[in-house]
Amino acid sequence: MAEFVTVGTTDEVAEGEAKAFSVNGEEVAVARVDGELVAFSDICTHRACNLANGGEIEGTSIACECHGSVFDMKTGVVIEGPATEPIATFAVRAEGSDLQIGV
Amino acid sequence: MLGERPFVIVGASLAGATAAATLRDEGFDGRVVLIGAEDLPPYERPALSKEFLRGEQPLEASYVRPPEWYADHEVETRFATHVVQIDPRDREVVLAGGERMPYERLLIATGSRNRRLEAPGADLPGVFDVRYARDTERIREALAGGARVVCVGMGFIGAEVAASLRRLGHDVTVVEIFETALFRILGAEVGRSLEAIHRDEGVQMRFNDTVARFEGGGRLERVVTTGGIEIDADVAVVGIGTEPAVELMAGTGLDQGDGIPVGPSLATSVPGVFAAGDVARHEHPVFGSIRVEHFDNAMKMGQAAAQNMLGGTRVFDDPHWFWSDQYDSQIQMAGFAPTWDRMVVRGSLAERSFCAFLLDNAGVLRSTVSVDWKRDVRRSFKLIQGEVAPDPAALADPDVDLRTLVPAAD
Repeated sequence: MAEFVTVGTTDEVAEGEAKAFSVNGEEVAVARVDGELVAFSDICTHRACNLANGGEIEGTSIACECHGSVFDMKTGVVIEGPATEPIATFAVRAEGSDLQIGV
Repeated sequence: MLGERPFVIVGASLAGATAAATLRDEGFDGRVVLIGAEDLPPYERPALSKEFLRGEQPLEASYVRPPEWYADHEVETRFATHVVQIDPRDREVVLAGGERMPYERLLIATGSRNRRLEAPGADLPGVFDVRYARDTERIREALAGGARVVCVGMGFIGAEVAASLRRLGHDVTVVEIFETALFRILGAEVGRSLEAIHRDEGVQMRFNDTVARFEGGGRLERVVTTGGIEIDADVAVVGIGTEPAVELMAGTGLDQGDGIPVGPSLATSVPGVFAAGDVARHEHPVFGSIRVEHFDNAMKMGQAAAQNMLGGTRVFDDPHWFWSDQYDSQIQMAGFAPTWDRMVVRGSLAERSFCAFLLDNAGVLRSTVSVDWKRDVRRSFKLIQGEVAPDPAALADPDVDLRTLVPAAD
């Protein structure tokens, strides 16, 4: 059972943008897709670049700005290499104006 | 099953291995044979001049797929195997030794090979180039204990090798025929920005000069330039460009020196035969005839070629994109502009943090290049693909989101 940790407020995450939060030592990116919050590892599995910082969001995918790996933000799967390993995904929710990530 | 004509991929390269993986991803359950000249599973080459050269990463980290992936997905591999010819009439490839292998569809992904420097002494021990993993391994052995290095050519390979070897503490001198770093691809202004990065890192650079000869008694001791300079050196790394590996196409008319011609969908004029990656001279819907020697292209072309081998009709219209990591800096480039009329810069060339937009004489954005300014290269893809002529003032303004400059679809 995921324990939810408040990392900030929901208005910190705009539609079509991603923002990184540190939760229990994990770097977790939160994005908003069609109004829905999604949370995933901020660290690209290819060369450990940060995804939220500069990652390009299109629909439910995010492209790493370093070497172009594209991940599905909801499932974590690789849509395009060079990465071959998926990124972890996390539960995320809004509790009032609190942004909470499940770890 | 035996007797079935397989889909054959020649070139256990990034393009070739990606094509094999795509065939399976697309649900193809027929025979797939992947033939490669090297005695290694397909690996990615970017690390050969960077992480693998610096000893930060084993080669295994660069494998396109884990070695067991191929058997697990019933992809038959024939490594350490050379294909010498294709026979389009009987639809067979001919292997060194004479074995013939039939094909149903054929993908040529043989890549390119390094251009040789025609200079006396180029065959001396201590003179290297970088193409294969074993090349990098040999360079690393030769560097042991500290070495004076000359990089011949300051294109991407030369610049990355220089950066990696400076990071390892070696003395590095570059000899480059043009007036600055990466001149042919990026032009003088962007090139000088990169030149400055290398100078700050302690690389000696000699421009407008080239190697007259390599000298040494039994192994490399010095490099003598046509400008008359003598540079003491233990190791030289030559990176002066590549040529496509087209020999196996002899007799088909497709063994052209500038690459195997393929149409927009990566099919050659020979029925059932496709080409992808460095070896392909592609009729691109935006850029025209183009041959690209970069990672992303090899991967994406391999994927598109596989889809089209299965009967797809996908036009490969990728805007082309690549990166180069040097020291703590990253260069990115998208599009294709062999020449341009105007360069618009957002950011600062002098501070080496910028994105430069290359416009043709109609103001159409043809290419984008950045140094430590990553975001906007990817954001320019749609402008390049759409052949958009954006307002130069908007391009120059870092506060303008490039995505807002894409005209709305009608």
